[in-house]
Amino acid sequence: MKKFLNEAERFVPDMIEGILAAHPGRLASVADDLHCLVKGGPKTPNKVGIASGGGSGHLPLFLGYIGDGLLDGCSIGDVFQSPSADQMLEVTRAIDAGAGVLYIYGNYGGDVLNFDMATEMASMEDITVETVLGADDVASAPKTEGQKRRGVAGIFYLFKCAGALAAELAPLAEVKRVAEKAAANVRTMGVALTPCIVPQVGKPGFELGEGEMEIGMGIHGERGIRRGPLVTADTIVDEMLPAILDDLPYERGDEVSVLVNGLGATPKEELYILFRRVARELQQRGITIFNTYVGEFATSMEMAGASISLLKLDDELKRLVSRPADTPFFSQPQL
Amino acid sequence: MSMDVLDLQGAAGAVHAVRLLMDEHRDRLVALDQAIGDGDLGLTMTKAFAAADDYAASASAVTPGKMLMQAGMAMAKAAPSTMGTLVATGFMRGGKAIAEAAALDTSGLASFFRAFTAGIMERGKTQLGNKTVVDALDPAATALEAAAARGADVRAALDEAAAAAEQGRAAARQMMSQHGKAAVFREQTIGIDDPGAAVGALILQGFAASVQT
Repeated sequence: MKKFLNEAERFVPDMIEGILAAHPGRLASVADDLHCLVKGGPKTPNKVGIASGGGSGHLPLFLGYIGDGLLDGCSIGDVFQSPSADQMLEVTRAIDAGAGVLYIYGNYGGDVLNFDMATEMASMEDITVETVLGADDVASAPKTEGQKRRGVAGIFYLFKCAGALAAELAPLAEVKRVAEKAAANVRTMGVALTPCIVPQVGKPGFELGEGEMEIGMGIHGERGIRRGPLVTADTIVDEMLPAILDDLPYERGDEVSVLVNGLGATPKEELYILFRRVARELQQRGITIFNTYVGEFATSMEMAGASISLLKLDDELKRLVSRPADTPFFSQPQL
Repeated sequence: MSMDVLDLQGAAGAVHAVRLLMDEHRDRLVALDQAIGDGDLGLTMTKAFAAADDYAASASAVTPGKMLMQAGMAMAKAAPSTMGTLVATGFMRGGKAIAEAAALDTSGLASFFRAFTAGIMERGKTQLGNKTVVDALDPAATALEAAAARGADVRAALDEAAAAAEQGRAAARQMMSQHGKAAVFREQTIGIDDPGAAVGALILQGFAASVQT
């Protein structure tokens, strides 16, 4: 294992201290706990608070999206470990501005358990909490078992749409509705080229042979659809894209936002090589690209690999995707 | 001597008795959990019940139900693992079900453990027969309901419930794990004691012990 580390046990706190030092005033920890992070500065009265959270090891997910037009707070666990319900509750308390709080997080057992618990504890304090799960990974379960699907990079679109509407002081029910709409219209598929190492474990969580790839692998190394020899970038896109398109389905005449996400160790050059084929294939099928994000949005430590997400747009989602956002890890002007 | 109700002090005594049992069985729970889980259950449960007991001892709550609910909150904070969260949920839901009662008779205890069990099933998305804490708790709740129906006093009812929980724990030995890390072992978990069911049996054993003179 070659990593920049002090002690493996200090991986998460050292990282968060660095992030807080790099972005003074923009982020703050609450309840004297580095795992509980919120947007700096005063709350906007009557704005719905949006919270996310989950294990560390996925930057910029989750805490990197705390800021204007996206999230108000996050609770962060150890690498690939859920934060506690109590940490979620602390963040919930800190961001509630009287209009309730929306939880948007990925569909993983430990996170669901703890966020549900936090919801119940918040209700005892008369804070209204609603939940929308990210479950965009088409490789993680068949469409007929959609409730089993994991959340991966496509959750960015849930943050984006809900965050934009919350910034306009829409009520909780509306913010939840657009998050659900984004969730219903986004699909993702990933591919891994190398494994990743959890610092406290010190060795790769799985083996992936030289010259091998795994299509559909999850962002914690969960088993994918197919393992096989590494083929050309175009061939990989030609396998992944139809699986995404057929799932919703996306059809001729549709308009989409595209997100090509790097899993941590893959350079942007390679992400653009993948996007080149995505753009050509979508054009061939008569699907229009409204806008494109290429970069790291949801990583898996130093895993090499990528994922492709498509969000099918209507006028409302297009308007919300277009709204400006500004956080330490992501910003865009009005599109 | 018959014992008709568990008042606020009695409920705090029950939590204390469970704490003592968890301390006593800590190493056993660690060993059970190491066989099919990550081995931290003994530590999680001693931490959880220490926090619940500390809360109960200093509680300002006015009813046993409200105290048990708040003790659950204290557990959730002190022991943020899957099992800690599930047991905390049990106390919160159980306490909520009987929040207004000034003291618990047998039927109040039945309501507490029924809501306790249902809360864990809902939060853990599990049911009977999956080799979990529920397999010890559900028979105990059923035994309390039967005892309430025939008008048994609290002491007799909790004795029967503890026996039912112990039987449930023993029966879970032959089940196959469906949840958590243990689920990876599938068939290999048959014939092995379930650490969660052991926790369930200890909770009932503690409640029963607390009402013995």
